[in-house]
Amino acid sequence: MATNLNPTDVVMIGLGAANGTAVLPLTKAGIKVIALEAGSWMPLSDFRADEVHNNVRRRITTGRKVWSEIPTFRTNPNEAARQGAAPTMMNAVGGTSIHWYANAWRFHPWDFKVRSETLKRYGADAIPKGSTVQDWPLSYDEIEPYYDLIEYEVGVAGKAGNVQGKIDQGGNVFEGPRKREYPMPPLRETEYTDMMKTAAKKAGYHAHRSPSAINSQQRDGRGACVYHGFCDTGGCPVKAKASTAVTTIPKAQQTNNLTIVERAHVTRIQTDNNGKVTGVTYLREGQEFFQPAKVVLLGAYTYENVRLLLLSKSKAYPNGLSNNHGQVGKHYIGHWAGREVSGLFPFDLNLWYGANSQAVVVNDWADDNFDHSGLGFIGGASLTVSHELHPIQGASMPTFGKAPEWGSKWKAFARQNAGRWTSAYAQCNSLPYENTWLDLDPTVKDPLGDPVTRITAGPKENEPRASNYAGKKAEEWFKAAGAVEVINVPNRGGPQLSTHAVGGTRMGDDPAANVANKWGFSHEVPNLGILGGSLLPTHGARNPTLTIQALAWRTADHLIKNWKSIAG
Amino acid sequence: MKDPKSLTETPVTRRTVIASATLIPLAALTLAPTPAAAQAAAPAAASAFSTDQRRILAAFVDRLVPKDESGPSASECGVIEYIDGSLADFMPKEKPALLQGLMALNAYAARTQGSAFADLSAEKKDAVLTAVDTNKATPELKRFFDRVRRLTLEGMFCDPSYGGNKNFAGWDLIRYPGAKMAVGPEDQRMKTPPKPYRQALYKGPAGKNPAGDKHGH
Repeated sequence: MATNLNPTDVVMIGLGAANGTAVLPLTKAGIKVIALEAGSWMPLSDFRADEVHNNVRRRITTGRKVWSEIPTFRTNPNEAARQGAAPTMMNAVGGTSIHWYANAWRFHPWDFKVRSETLKRYGADAIPKGSTVQDWPLSYDEIEPYYDLIEYEVGVAGKAGNVQGKIDQGGNVFEGPRKREYPMPPLRETEYTDMMKTAAKKAGYHAHRSPSAINSQQRDGRGACVYHGFCDTGGCPVKAKASTAVTTIPKAQQTNNLTIVERAHVTRIQTDNNGKVTGVTYLREGQEFFQPAKVVLLGAYTYENVRLLLLSKSKAYPNGLSNNHGQVGKHYIGHWAGREVSGLFPFDLNLWYGANSQAVVVNDWADDNFDHSGLGFIGGASLTVSHELHPIQGASMPTFGKAPEWGSKWKAFARQNAGRWTSAYAQCNSLPYENTWLDLDPTVKDPLGDPVTRITAGPKENEPRASNYAGKKAEEWFKAAGAVEVINVPNRGGPQLSTHAVGGTRMGDDPAANVANKWGFSHEVPNLGILGGSLLPTHGARNPTLTIQALAWRTADHLIKNWKSIAG
Repeated sequence: MKDPKSLTETPVTRRTVIASATLIPLAALTLAPTPAAAQAAAPAAASAFSTDQRRILAAFVDRLVPKDESGPSASECGVIEYIDGSLADFMPKEKPALLQGLMALNAYAARTQGSAFADLSAEKKDAVLTAVDTNKATPELKRFFDRVRRLTLEGMFCDPSYGGNKNFAGWDLIRYPGAKMAVGPEDQRMKTPPKPYRQALYKGPAGKNPAGDKHGH
């Protein structure tokens, strides 16, 4: 029997990038929050300059609970689904914001209106076959104040390209208008970032320094980046990288309105006969508890948000919570992103040190920044080249057809070239499709006997075409920079299992096609808020975390303003 | 980084305790109690490999990274110790497949070159490995080859606290300047590589004796 705990205002499931952001405005408004987190606080000593620890053993990207519920995947409904690698759904206070690369992007205004803009410019035939894409229920202008708020709250280093319509060639000239400049200048300029900016200009592209949620200078009681080169999927030992564990969560704790329960394994969200949620059941150290609350905020990783809803069946919701329209798990998107283009240079690039988001980016071939007539795809990809190369990663380089992959000849090749190569990262605008969704696996279960999430991800045509198109541009960029060899591996048709897994509880105005409304609250369950990547109707050509945080703050604001009607 | 403050409210979380508990050598749990000092000085957990298996593995990885004018061989760099350590504390489930692979490699060498793998000449070892790598033996052997090649790269270029990259020989080979806790603008220049930094940051894998914070510079 579960132990009944004292009621609270809000119970949160997960305390990562999304709920870890929402918790600050909520607690500041005087709302009592109990946050149930499957992981624990991580000590700074866990954040090592150690590639085996971070990248091989993945100590900062997973967690005990994650390893026990790895989703299965298949490429079509006739195939048996099997478990792959553990996804990056980190169990810890701060969640995935601990190990993210801190590329702190706003989505492009086009991302919020992919469907209507495409219809307008290219006609109905241009919408990719089988796509369920719809416009977001909010525009860029509506989310802009929240982007601004987050950039200043957690600290983003960057250079604006469009301040209230005034274009600055030093920043991203394609970005939507922003209220003001970034709170900090970009991370350190280097000979390499200069070289790649110059090369982009030579190739006719616009290049700029990427925005990074890493302190380029001391700010808000946190240190500046030490550029040690173990940022990618690692934690920051000097708190320069803005995880919610060092930004919003400690500030929320100061209000005394936040209680964090570590190592709480949430098993079900409970519902009454009127269809409202009443609280959350969880296990902690073998004991079962029921935490009653006026409002439940579900803010786990995409796979777990969907799984918990589907597991939480009741009289009011026989097919899973908030799933009376059968939309939970639908419109799931694995972000189409990868490093397919590599360049070999005739001199040392010396990219070992620095941070991954100490980068140069080209946006000419993303979004609708170029004419797509006759190209056979919509959207495109941003292209990023970065600092930060770890030694095992460096030695695992492609040999560009110049040497075998082992033996003395390989050794001589690696000696000369491990520090002379790099890859461009192409991140595509990615859409939802009928052939791609999440549900519960019929056979694979976690140790409690609950089914794990099953991913069905069918082949795509639009995104690989966009990626290959942008890949050619990356090839030209590397050549303009002086690369002597470039390899461009064509993008295959899928499945794309990305660390940017979004959708599954899509937000939209139509309750028949969307789980959440434009505020992130369930259409069917008035006192259930859903936060995180699972809300996203499309994926931009950039990293999603800043958008997830902006939406989370917006959901919290909506709850504060409408507390009586939602919690009452 | 003079005074790193822990993110934890209490210095030791349950997570840390569990992580440490899994690293207690099996012997310490099954044998008579040993004084703490003796435990600390005891060698690592017993090897996953018999003497014969270790000999095959060394012969294999030393063809992937042979001793030559570019530097020492894989086994001299501690690759076997790295793999052994990983089997003990990170990937125990892989042990059967690795042992089976070593036996299969030996059998394939005997069948195609007439002798146990480790006893073959360098040329004949390379002929066996090339056949395996190009999938002319079996798909299982190819998978085994790829896995061992990956583990060899890990053992060559890892932080030395994992047993590999002995004397930083791996990092010297690829001219990796070294892990350190603060990197200045001069260390991020092209063409004029920074001066190698060759001091250990850690005494062991995380959970054993992490001492990184004390060694920042």
